[in-house]
Amino acid sequence: MTLTLRSKKFMTNRLLRRKQRVIDVHHPGKATVPKSEIWEKLAEMYKIADVIFVFGFRAHFGGGQTTGFGMIYDSLDYAKKNKPKHRLARHSLYEKKKTSRKQRKEEYKNRMTQFRRTAKASVGPGKKK
Amino acid sequence: MAAPGNLAVLESDLQSAVTLLKNLQDQVMAVTAQVQALTKKVQARAYPTEKGLSLLEVKDQLLLMYLMDLTHLILDKASGGSLQGHAAVLRLVEIRTVLEKLRPLDQKLKYQIDKLVKTAVTGSLSENDPLRFKPHPSNMMSKLSSEDEEEDEAEGQSEASGKKSVKGTVKKYVPPRLVPVHYDETEAEREKKRLERARKRALSSSVIRELKEQYSDAPEEIRDARHPHVTRQSQEDQHRINYEESMMVRLSVSKREKGRRKRASVMNSQLHSLTHFSDISALTGGTPHLDEDQNPIKKRKKIPKKSRKKTGQ
Repeated sequence: MTLTLRSKKFMTNRLLRRKQRVIDVHHPGKATVPKSEIWEKLAEMYKIADVIFVFGFRAHFGGGQTTGFGMIYDSLDYAKKNKPKHRLARHSLYEKKKTSRKQRKEEYKNRMTQFRRTAKASVGPGKKK
Repeated sequence: MAAPGNLAVLESDLQSAVTLLKNLQDQVMAVTAQVQALTKKVQARAYPTEKGLSLLEVKDQLLLMYLMDLTHLILDKASGGSLQGHAAVLRLVEIRTVLEKLRPLDQKLKYQIDKLVKTAVTGSLSENDPLRFKPHPSNMMSKLSSEDEEEDEAEGQSEASGKKSVKGTVKKYVPPRLVPVHYDETEAEREKKRLERARKRALSSSVIRELKEQYSDAPEEIRDARHPHVTRQSQEDQHRINYEESMMVRLSVSKREKGRRKRASVMNSQLHSLTHFSDISALTGGTPHLDEDQNPIKKRKKIPKKSRKKTGQ
């Protein structure tokens, strides 16, 4: 477990209520470390697991080093507001709609057939659920 | 005593002296007439100098004073007095020094004076006079109506929503008129520049560098320095990495980018560099062949864009 984490370009982003940094991971002789492991390591270091998000890990040529980004939010509320939904979904803080796009378009078209001419424009995508 | 010899010399001298004196008298009368005419004109205010260059006026006055002192001296000498310790000599010397000191100033102003004279004579500036292109600071001011941006007052949690900006009435965009600059570059100059660049590139190629090492007496240096041909690709990569780290995003790489990157890395890593040398025809004068690590200029076929909107329905 020769995993070494180093953070560069640390910045406290007051506008988005977080601390962001570039994380350099050293893992000589091993394959690229999965995100969950890095997340656990960071949680150990900072004692709070809820509001840490890591993403964008890319391995350098030749192996042994990976670079990615990490963010620690001030609180879960701010995290929910500011984070894009797919990242929240990775931590199961968010559930996205299971309906496919095709189904949704079909429903919308069917609803539109009930009206004539300009009234069609009044049909919103999620209006008559 | 060679008295008759002396007498003969004196006689010839006498003749020339008389003719000279006659000439002198005529010339003096002419000069006096001219000077009197000039003084009359000046007194009649034919040469107003209030609005002229002050330097030229100073020079005028100095020259006049010089002339006056000089005539005073001539008068004294002509009536038999000696110039030893004459006060006018000192004054003359002083004026002379001042005039000499003024000469470099004159040099500096020469261009302006010439221009003024030309303007006064012809009445307007010539066509491609660079003076016409003087800076117009009023062109720098934006011609669009001022856009007021209201700053968001700190309301609780909406810092993240960003500033609201209320623009004025939307007007047509008028591009700013910049100062016109004289464009002079001819085809020949462009050719020359291209050749210069090719020469510089050739001088730093591996062939020439190795020749230099071979023939110079300096000790051989082994440096762990950057590759002398820092390629465009490596610079772009560096730029990309900097951007990604500061913006905390990952940028996507298009297919063309991937191809370029692969080509650049292949070029540098394989035995390609053993057998392919850069083009030094700029130094030898042969025909240039295209350097292979530079991008070949490809002509892209114009594919007509398919219409995005499907008509009907």
